[in-house]
Amino acid sequence: MMKQLFGKWSAIAKESIDRAAIVAKLLCLLHVTNTYIFSPTLVYGPSMLPTLNLTGDVVLSEYVSHRLGKVGPGDVVLVQSPENPRKMITKRVVAMEGDAVSYLVDPSRSDRSRTIVVPKGHVWNQGDNIYASNDSRNFGPIPYGLIQGKVRCRVWPLDGFGSL
Amino acid sequence: MSLFQQWAFLVKEALDKSFLVAKFFCAVHVTNTYLGSTAVVYGPSMLPTFSLNNDLVLLERISTRNGKAGTGDVVVLQSPENPRKFVTKRITGMEGDKITYIVDPKNSDKTETVIVPKGHVWVQGDNVYNSYDSRNFGPVPYGLLKGKIFWKIWPTSAFGSIGRRPETVDPALKDLEQANQS
Repeated sequence: MMKQLFGKWSAIAKESIDRAAIVAKLLCLLHVTNTYIFSPTLVYGPSMLPTLNLTGDVVLSEYVSHRLGKVGPGDVVLVQSPENPRKMITKRVVAMEGDAVSYLVDPSRSDRSRTIVVPKGHVWNQGDNIYASNDSRNFGPIPYGLIQGKVRCRVWPLDGFGSL
Repeated sequence: MSLFQQWAFLVKEALDKSFLVAKFFCAVHVTNTYLGSTAVVYGPSMLPTFSLNNDLVLLERISTRNGKAGTGDVVVLQSPENPRKFVTKRITGMEGDKITYIVDPKNSDKTETVIVPKGHVWVQGDNVYNSYDSRNFGPVPYGLLKGKIFWKIWPTSAFGSIGRRPETVDPALKDLEQANQS
């Protein structure tokens, strides 16, 4: 009698472990894809208007190009903020190492501009909305190693679907 | 069994074995990226804590990910000048700290003082005479820190934990020094 009960219990336990293993493998695959290949990302904020909306867009970002060194000027990238390592920000790469970048220091107040040469191993990024963007004009050129991914296209809202 | 059946059986076996190998590599990779791994450190900038070449160390990736790396920790970071290179240095200041450092100790006594900006750390090699560190490339964003070194495995004469202060004596020669003193 006890043997029967134990047999039933161990069969149930074995089956639940098998099912849990399948779920774990699926989550593993999802995680690997999201970290190393591509994933949808929610981006929000005023600094990339009019390219990206204020209240949030879901974009598809890929994580392969920056590892191969294929990020260049004009790309919209996800970077780890140099002021707060837990925050990810979205900006456009304007200049790579060695380029001389001329930028407006504070366009809503004056026409003053400065020119700077981007040091080795760094990139200069700016938001498309230079009037409301905290970017390299504020925190300086950032090391290439902080780039986490490249934004490819928008998937939501649907009327903005397509590459940026 | 027909030829096709035999071939199908072989293909299935090969797939099963390669899945097993893939799962093993997956587990190794996950451990190396999120838990800890070993590393070979070389170069003169962390003498005498690490010797000139072929020191094997154990590093863990949990502290740097959770923001728990602090002053005195030996860390592995992505070089701000070359994103493909990883360097090993000691954190000597966190954000907000005022750092006074000797600009070029081999040639002069001139010092400079900086305040480490928000989100950045100041790293220096233990061997200030031969180290390319924050005194050259400035404070480093915290996001570039990739792991903390906490244990040295090889050479076995210096097996042991890495402390929060630079060693003053080559750990491999510590026994010899003590024998000489007594």
